[in-house]
Amino acid sequence: MKVVALVALVACGSGSDSIEATKPTPLVPRREVVLDTGTQPHRRMVQPEQFLRAYLTWFGGLSPSEVQKQAGRGLFDQWNDYIGALGLPDYRIDVPRAGQSNPLMLAAIARLGEALCVRASEHDLAKSTPLADRQIFAFDANPSPTLDEFAKGFDTLHRTFLGYPAALAPPARVGRFYALYQKVQTETQTRTSRSSLAPVQAGWAAVCTALIQHPEAQLY
Amino acid sequence: MLAFRRALLAAPSSTHDDFFVFVHAAGGWDVTLWSDPRNERKGIVEPASTANSEVGPIRHWKSVPLDGRVKTFEVVTPPGSSLRLGPAIGDLFDLHDRITILNGIAMNTVSHDDGTVFSATGRHKSGGSVPAPSIDVMLASELGTTQLMPDVSVGFPSYFVGPALDQRAIPLRVSTVDTITKSLERSQAFLDTADRDAISAVLAEEGDALATRSGASDPIAQLVGQQREMPKLLQPEFVSAFTTRTLQKAYPQFKFGVRDGHAAQGAAFAVEAFRRNVARCVSYSVGGLDTHNTNYREHAKTLQDLFDSIAALVKVLDETPHPTLSATRLSERTHIVVISEFCRTPMINLIGGRDHYPNNSALVISPRFKRGRSFGATDAEQVLPTPFKTFADGSRAIAPPDVLATVLGAFGIDPRKYMRDGEIVRELLA
Repeated sequence: MKVVALVALVACGSGSDSIEATKPTPLVPRREVVLDTGTQPHRRMVQPEQFLRAYLTWFGGLSPSEVQKQAGRGLFDQWNDYIGALGLPDYRIDVPRAGQSNPLMLAAIARLGEALCVRASEHDLAKSTPLADRQIFAFDANPSPTLDEFAKGFDTLHRTFLGYPAALAPPARVGRFYALYQKVQTETQTRTSRSSLAPVQAGWAAVCTALIQHPEAQLY
Repeated sequence: MLAFRRALLAAPSSTHDDFFVFVHAAGGWDVTLWSDPRNERKGIVEPASTANSEVGPIRHWKSVPLDGRVKTFEVVTPPGSSLRLGPAIGDLFDLHDRITILNGIAMNTVSHDDGTVFSATGRHKSGGSVPAPSIDVMLASELGTTQLMPDVSVGFPSYFVGPALDQRAIPLRVSTVDTITKSLERSQAFLDTADRDAISAVLAEEGDALATRSGASDPIAQLVGQQREMPKLLQPEFVSAFTTRTLQKAYPQFKFGVRDGHAAQGAAFAVEAFRRNVARCVSYSVGGLDTHNTNYREHAKTLQDLFDSIAALVKVLDETPHPTLSATRLSERTHIVVISEFCRTPMINLIGGRDHYPNNSALVISPRFKRGRSFGATDAEQVLPTPFKTFADGSRAIAPPDVLATVLGAFGIDPRKYMRDGEIVRELLA
């Protein structure tokens, strides 16, 4: 009996000596955040949905049906008419999402952008609209601004549509848009046929329309 | 390679005055009703007859006995021609000496999506993606980049895929012609044409400035190029020329009231765009051919409407002067290719229709092709493709890549630049 117990003890003892303690290992990270720090090989077109979402957000968080209602009256009619031209997939005829821009797509986007800018200028730059209620043109708009006065308003739009101050943009930009403003504003004054927009509204609507189609807004 | 060199030598030096129309007969057509006629019960073939088709409106249907009171059609044989046509050929009968028919095209698919892609690109879909550009895009890239609208695609399966293509050839894909004009129309009540020209000029200047500062200037340059085109596209006179109402008025030869009017709109748009020399390729799609049940009774009429519209297109092109070449009609430099995704089963199914079948035909109307003839064949009992010739990879039936490669080869374009498969079939070229 003593012999058996001794053998069992020896056996157990020898086994326990060979076991090694588990080495601590670092925990597997629950979520790895991969940052794309490489050079972007190509500038890409922003997805059409991104465009439209950005447009709707800029102009007051509108829903698509509200846009249809507000931008109607000769400027924009139904989304259905523009699905393909806007680069959106049209599952009624099996047209996939457009991966590249084309002149027609730019024209359709420009049509929508112009409609929203014109409506915003009509609303914001009306004398009765207080500054706090202005959605896009949230600045005092002097009808005949100096370059410095224009630059302040332009900076507001630049921050809205391109996401950074105009002072950080290439220096010629403000001058270019100032010339555009002056041209449209002056021609609106001299034309007899137009009555829908005041010269100041037309000038800023043109600047807005150009900025939302700017290559920096359409490519990333 | 030798075949390509021969084709290259045969191609005239200037191909930048040519125009192209591609038509997709969507749904899968019944080739036994037009290109590969069958009027006998043989093997699994159940021909079109008074029992399964509305034959009243079919102008070239001449009844012959099939079985008891059931009658089938007499094969249409134009005088002095080797062509054997089905009764749904419509007004193309009058132009039999100008058409080229390719029969027995091996599709290896009965999926609408895959067959459509295969017919238009020469490649099957790969993992759900389209791996190659479509024929209209290839031609627009080669011959149309100086046009205002190199490739207008109204519901046609157009695909811009691959690095060899010029960005300017990106197809303008829309569901209807009206989408184009609506996108281009502008109200003059707020900003006017002069204002928009000024906006486009500012954007082009901004783009140029950015492109010179950017490490990756290509996409910016592409965008700038498109911005520069905008004023031309937005001209009110230009836009109004392409509305359905204007086209309908200008081209009463096309039947705008037939079905959804897509064939008439597409054809009229093509003529107007070519006449103004603003597009190189216009492609459109015409549906109504996927007839699995008793709607097959209308199939022959749908085909007849399609071929009537193609014939009307050719006749209008005959009357229209070429925009850049003197003493030349547009039809002399316009090339029309009509495709479908596959054909329909030779047998009638239990619910009176025909299902999908991996055989196909194609129609070409082009001075670069041998005309008034059909090429390729199917077997008598199953209407499946039979070997056409010995290709580089052996004896086999003609396939969509060969058809598309031959279209490219007819204009001196090396298909290998864009296509993995396919051979120029020299026998088809004039």
